[in-house]
Amino acid sequence: MDLMFDKLKILADSAKYDVSCSSSGVGRKNNGTIGSGAAEGICHTWSADGRCISLLKVLFTNKCAYDCEYCVNRRSADVERASFEPEELARLTIEFYRRNYIEGLFLSSAVEVSPDHTAERILHCLRLLRNQYGFAGYIHAKIIPGVSQELIHAIGLVADRLSVNIEMPTSKSLELFAPQKKPKQIFSPMRQITNTLIERKALKGPGTMFKGQDLNSDLSYLNPSQSSVLVDPQQLRQNQNSPEQTALAGAAGVPARQGRKKEVFAPAGQTTQMIIGAGQETDKQILTTTENLYHTFKMKRVYYSAYIPVVPSPILPDALTAPPLSREHRLYQADWLLRFYGFSAGEILDEENPNLDPDLDPKVTWALRHLDQFPVEVNKASMDQLLRIPGVGVQSAQRIVRQRRISAVKYEDLKKIGVVLKRARHFLTCSGKYYGEKNFMPHVIKNQILQINDGVQMSMFGDNSQSVLTGGEKGGRVLTNG
Amino acid sequence: MVDYLYDGTFEGLLTCIYHHYYTEKASGIFRREEYQSTMLGGYKEIETEEEKAITVYEAIEKKISSDDLKRIYKVFMSGVEGKETKILNYVRLGFVKGSCVSMLHGEPIVFAVQQAERKVNGEVHRMKGLIRFSELGNKVLYSSIEPDHDIVEFLADHFCDRFKNEPFIIHDLKRSKALIAYQGSWYISEFTEKELSPLSEEEKEYRRLWKSYFENMAIRERINPRCQKNLMPVRYWKHLTEFQL
Repeated sequence: MDLMFDKLKILADSAKYDVSCSSSGVGRKNNGTIGSGAAEGICHTWSADGRCISLLKVLFTNKCAYDCEYCVNRRSADVERASFEPEELARLTIEFYRRNYIEGLFLSSAVEVSPDHTAERILHCLRLLRNQYGFAGYIHAKIIPGVSQELIHAIGLVADRLSVNIEMPTSKSLELFAPQKKPKQIFSPMRQITNTLIERKALKGPGTMFKGQDLNSDLSYLNPSQSSVLVDPQQLRQNQNSPEQTALAGAAGVPARQGRKKEVFAPAGQTTQMIIGAGQETDKQILTTTENLYHTFKMKRVYYSAYIPVVPSPILPDALTAPPLSREHRLYQADWLLRFYGFSAGEILDEENPNLDPDLDPKVTWALRHLDQFPVEVNKASMDQLLRIPGVGVQSAQRIVRQRRISAVKYEDLKKIGVVLKRARHFLTCSGKYYGEKNFMPHVIKNQILQINDGVQMSMFGDNSQSVLTGGEKGGRVLTNG
Repeated sequence: MVDYLYDGTFEGLLTCIYHHYYTEKASGIFRREEYQSTMLGGYKEIETEEEKAITVYEAIEKKISSDDLKRIYKVFMSGVEGKETKILNYVRLGFVKGSCVSMLHGEPIVFAVQQAERKVNGEVHRMKGLIRFSELGNKVLYSSIEPDHDIVEFLADHFCDRFKNEPFIIHDLKRSKALIAYQGSWYISEFTEKELSPLSEEEKEYRRLWKSYFENMAIRERINPRCQKNLMPVRYWKHLTEFQL
């Protein structure tokens, strides 16, 4: 047991920088011996940094053959090394799961010997869990670039969600920081996963971005020329969705099995994550890459991870740099706007404003630049218009639409519906009456919102807020007040 | 107009609503043992009658909706103050408006009930994650909780499906009752800790592993206890393995 104690410590320690911990996306009754999937996802606890712990997040091994600049486990780093045996990790997962500590397993890994060697051992472990132990809970498996198509496919059949890390938001940063990871190696598994999902008519896409569209037609297959979604900082404008899409039957590379029992391939889709704040890229570049990922691969999520200096390096921000937490927060807000609110990256940021405003959320910033579209009358506006009002979320927009079928929405009702009035009141009218400032000017409204916001904003990030500001400057990013 | 006092059962509450329509208008409904009489109005103790309760039960289901019936039951199981009167008002409005009553989000009566329902649903969802089982010597999984609302029965379906081959007990210490389940069937009964067998031998080891894992997962550079407490209120920590020695 003591050996296990040390192993878990080492292998969890290096896995904690992986962002995704979501267990959502699969609603599944217990079709095995133990376990089920909750579509909405369940958090089991929250660690001292406020991040939720839902899955047992570990590396299979941290004995790595690669030497990526930003990584704790790179070959040249002097850290303790360990590997799980497939059986012991399966057992640990089951015992944690029985006690309701976790919702499932998130298995990532360093590259021991070769990508295929590591993937085979991961597959062995996951098959043990699914077949021997009858585990029907959530499994998120990370695909290491360079793994063979057959292994990816086999892992997809036992996992709920697959992810390939894109690591960096631009091709330039990737080249600089992870020279052994080639864009081609990253995009080809992503493409394979998407194509396999299309083949099985199971591609769903992120949020409500593709609502009402058929993502699973034969025309949606991706071919190799469409793969690179990384923003090239030199030419930002290669944002095209290629017009000629050749249908590739069996594009996944592995033919679907014609069996009796229906196989399920990665029912919760695929995700990816990138590190922000390590290179010099702007928020606009990050968001554009994100949007490309959603449009091309129809990923469920793109995760951001604020760069934390874990290894000293001449090309990275120095060790005293605080992680850019508030930047990460604003990026996530923008990401939500892409997935659920019908915004495009080009609307949220443009050439004049390449970075998100640290003081205001991106929806307010957008609205202040487009005051000609406001105020919006809540009793008449379409769903799409309602969603663009700052302070109105998806739920409150739905409630407004539902209630006004029966009776007009009054200003007093908005708060009960869940609208955040301190922001929303500047941008809407209720039955023709406006409740905001008399002076309908961007800077007046901005000051109003900021005055109320101040206290909230500072407390949101606790003491970090201060250090983020100074740290950000060191990292080459100047945060000004807009 | 009088205040009605009932015995604390759901049937009792429904009987009061029956009397509101057929005997005398109610100004409010209260639990008998919690009632503090006022000088202003009188009060009446209501005897629970199954037949009358069923009449109201079916009327709600038919004239309002089965969703609203479930909503009302959830609110009844909540620890929200004055829930009985809130339910009475909601039912009265529901009988007038029909099934669209739940869409009137701006109406204070509807808002009050939906707020209470949200609290119950929120805690049920939270508990699905926050329950911690310990393995007893006889392989039974045991968990103790002290929820704000009376929610153990709302947890039954989720855990019965998930642990269909494991016998388990979810013990509500506050209300001295427990959900006892095995192989998909379950019941709720009164329960005290005395009936438990000691922990299994392995249990301690897994607790230690989990606690160490939990502490390890926090990224030092991002420590934010305020955010942690916001998402997981401290009152729940008492029964969480990761915070125990």
